[in-house]
Amino acid sequence: MIPAKSILPFVLPALAAMTIPAAGGQALSPVTIVDSLGREIVVPGRVERIISLEPEVTRIIVALGEGKRLVGIDFFLRHHDRLFPLVFPSSERLPVVSNQGQDLNYEEAIRLRPDILFSSPSEFRMTESIERKMKRPVVALASMGRFRDLLTEIETLGRILGREERAAELVSFFGSRMGSVRGIGPVRAADAGPSVYLSFWGSLLRTPVSYEPVGAAGGNNLASRLLPSYLGTAGATVSLEQILVWDPEVILVQGNYPPAERQVTVEGILGDPRLASVRAVRDGRVHYTFGFWYWWDPALVLVETAYLARLFHPGSFPNFDLTREGDAIFKEFYGVEGLFSALCRVLECHEWNPE
Amino acid sequence: MKVRVEDLHFSYGNFSLRVAGQTFAEARVTSIVGPNGAGKSTFLKCLAAVLPASRGSVFVDGKDLAGLSGKSRARLVGYVPQEPAFTFNYSVLDFVLTGRAAFIPVFSSPSRHDVAAAEAALGYVGLADYPARPFFELSSGERRLVLIARTLAQEPDILLLDEPTTFLDPRHEIEILELIRRLAGEMGKTVIVTLHSLDMAVKYSDEMVFMKGGGVVAAGRPGDILSEALLKAVYDIEMSIMNVDGRRLIVR
Amino acid sequence: MSGTRNKRATAAFVLAAVLPIVLLLLSLNIGAYRIPPKAVFTTIVGAVFPGGASGGPSPYADILFRIRLPRLLLALFAGAALAVSGASLQAIFKNPLVFEFSLGISYGAAFGAALSLVFLGRKVPAQAAAFLFAIIAVLAVLFIAGKAASQVVTILLSGVIVSALFQALLSLVEFFANPYALQSLIFWLMGSLAQAEWKDLGLTLPVIGVGVTVLILLRWRMNVLSLGDDEARALGVNINREKIAVIVLAALTTAAATAVTGVISWVGLIVPHLVRMAVGADNRKVIPLSAAYGACLLIVADDIARSVASFEIPIGILTSVVGIPFFIVLLKKSGKIWL
Repeated sequence: MIPAKSILPFVLPALAAMTIPAAGGQALSPVTIVDSLGREIVVPGRVERIISLEPEVTRIIVALGEGKRLVGIDFFLRHHDRLFPLVFPSSERLPVVSNQGQDLNYEEAIRLRPDILFSSPSEFRMTESIERKMKRPVVALASMGRFRDLLTEIETLGRILGREERAAELVSFFGSRMGSVRGIGPVRAADAGPSVYLSFWGSLLRTPVSYEPVGAAGGNNLASRLLPSYLGTAGATVSLEQILVWDPEVILVQGNYPPAERQVTVEGILGDPRLASVRAVRDGRVHYTFGFWYWWDPALVLVETAYLARLFHPGSFPNFDLTREGDAIFKEFYGVEGLFSALCRVLECHEWNPE
Repeated sequence: MKVRVEDLHFSYGNFSLRVAGQTFAEARVTSIVGPNGAGKSTFLKCLAAVLPASRGSVFVDGKDLAGLSGKSRARLVGYVPQEPAFTFNYSVLDFVLTGRAAFIPVFSSPSRHDVAAAEAALGYVGLADYPARPFFELSSGERRLVLIARTLAQEPDILLLDEPTTFLDPRHEIEILELIRRLAGEMGKTVIVTLHSLDMAVKYSDEMVFMKGGGVVAAGRPGDILSEALLKAVYDIEMSIMNVDGRRLIVR
Repeated sequence: MSGTRNKRATAAFVLAAVLPIVLLLLSLNIGAYRIPPKAVFTTIVGAVFPGGASGGPSPYADILFRIRLPRLLLALFAGAALAVSGASLQAIFKNPLVFEFSLGISYGAAFGAALSLVFLGRKVPAQAAAFLFAIIAVLAVLFIAGKAASQVVTILLSGVIVSALFQALLSLVEFFANPYALQSLIFWLMGSLAQAEWKDLGLTLPVIGVGVTVLILLRWRMNVLSLGDDEARALGVNINREKIAVIVLAALTTAAATAVTGVISWVGLIVPHLVRMAVGADNRKVIPLSAAYGACLLIVADDIARSVASFEIPIGILTSVVGIPFFIVLLKKSGKIWL
């Protein structure tokens, strides 16, 4: 029987040492978070092996510097995303854990022994099913296009990975850059910014009901008055006449895929006789923009907002060099040089630069 | 017009039809009789060019049928099947009008003349009141008459009828046979019928052709060729020929 | 009974001549961009008789003649094409369940469009590829059916096989498609007249026009072709050749329509039935009336598709969802055979 008095001097410092998180290391106690579906989840203190089916989450994990903890990659980021292989080249060595429909390949997932999985909030049944079968915590996380939720997501992932400081850095960087865009030029007054129509998803008539970069850049998305065609998505289908009724001042075409694959092009719209009377066509204000796929890449959305601000209020941004700005933002997020320039080469964005 | 068959051959599976030579007289009714499987229907179909003969020819008024276009042939030879294949519920007149196909160019519709021909044909078979009635509403006997009317609308010189009286009650049977006789006698057509009823064949034909096993056993006027020995040879059972009130009846 | 049928037939023809034009003029008034009916009238008059009083501000003319008119004409022509093809195929195969779908045209066209949208980008327009593969599908059906192509069971079986094949190929293309192309493809597959423009119609409308016209000219001949093979042969008709000719015509007409509109089904099945129920089976009536009423059906469906909500309902879905129950109700009520 060792008297308590003699142990205490050793135990207390040891206990104290255990509760102080090591620099850049792992929080040892479990963390309780609330995911995008409102579920409260207890995440273990140690998450070393991560599988993410939601590309937005994967991108943030890499931005937080913990890409090495990924043990698998989803189908979209491996096969169809132009940006991610540039951001995180070592992802090429990761096994693909989902199929073309982004369904989890369970056998592969079990083999990889993840500590945690991230799923898409649009697929509620899938989230439950993964939890049942994998017997691991499953966190459904995505911003659904909302900036506020994107920042919350960064913070949540920071807590899960024990990288709260880095997360705070990114959130603050995001806020300040966004603020500097909003600070210049008319601030969100509905009549001061141009009216904008977005043509997304390879069709002239499909448009996102909510696209925050437009608002943040001082424009007004005409489709925001509509309801999405299908629940859980962002898109609506309009008629050609509706576009004429709206008579947008600017038309933006989703351009984050290579020119050869585009179905809707700026030239096509400018040359379409049916749209000849639309203001945007008459003034030549038809441009490409990046758009989103599986929600945001946090760096890209900043670049895009800055780009759009320049498009909408040309006079307010003298000395604006999109490529230089872009590279700087990407370097801040991912620590790699020239990422934005590389992306622009693939998408041929040099053609996008407004005069 | 006279029909002459020369060295006609047709094969189908194990069955072989061979008719070395046969003529059918103008303005006469010739019946083809024989047991099941003798090849009566097949022979008729070969005459109608519905089935392609593998060898041999059919000559109508000296012309080889094989050398004629479908349209020309259809204006010479008319074929009445036993039952019409399933079809839409056309009106009787529309049904009969299809018989005018050989006269109407591919992209045209029937003219007034065609309609008149169809109506005349209906009148001849005794169905003058029937043009607007739907085909499905007719009785078996009436349908047969409509079939004949359709073939008459073709204005052929030769009429081939396959078992036109099968499944009909006695009254309708007689009606059709009388009609067939009129077609030969009044209209001068060469009529060739396959019949299963020997008695009727004897009564209503000018000439008979007995077939068995894909070939012709005997042909000629009933009075000349009919004998118990012939019947035994063709049908493989004993039959007697009796004389009742001046008519010959065949009893099994 | 025959008297009523005749009266009904006459009424049906009169209506058929008038209704499509009336619907066209009425439909010109429908659309998200509000144009007062008077302005519609003056703009049209101004275009037909130029040099008269000014026909209103320029957007009106653009909308009426660049957006609405091509779309409505496409609806009329496509509706006529689908209905006439369906009616012709039903006539020569004597089977009420046959329509253009049975020949594998729809899935052939869908596969062609998929191939173009996913792999060939803009080098090959989706319409051209859809048309090409629709024809390939029909040729495949005829090839598989072989000599027995004029038998309904054979052709239906071949159609099922070819449809299944192209459906599988379509799934394969969807599997390998990147999400961008997949979106465009799904949109195309739902069937839509929304993007009709004169550029597309320049070739399509004449092809459909010729196809429909020739099929209408053959209307009486189809009565003959609907007889048994033996009987038709005895009547001097080369039934195989003529049936295949009708099949090819129906296929070309339908493929031309499907290539531009995407998959719109059921029109070719429902309209001929309704017509037969009203006026009987004589193809001299059924074929032209099907053309006219198919046109009317599609233009009405399109009006509904674009005016009922702020977004557009894909027309293929509309024709199915509305057409089928309507058809069932009519079938039950009439109680009589539809042949």
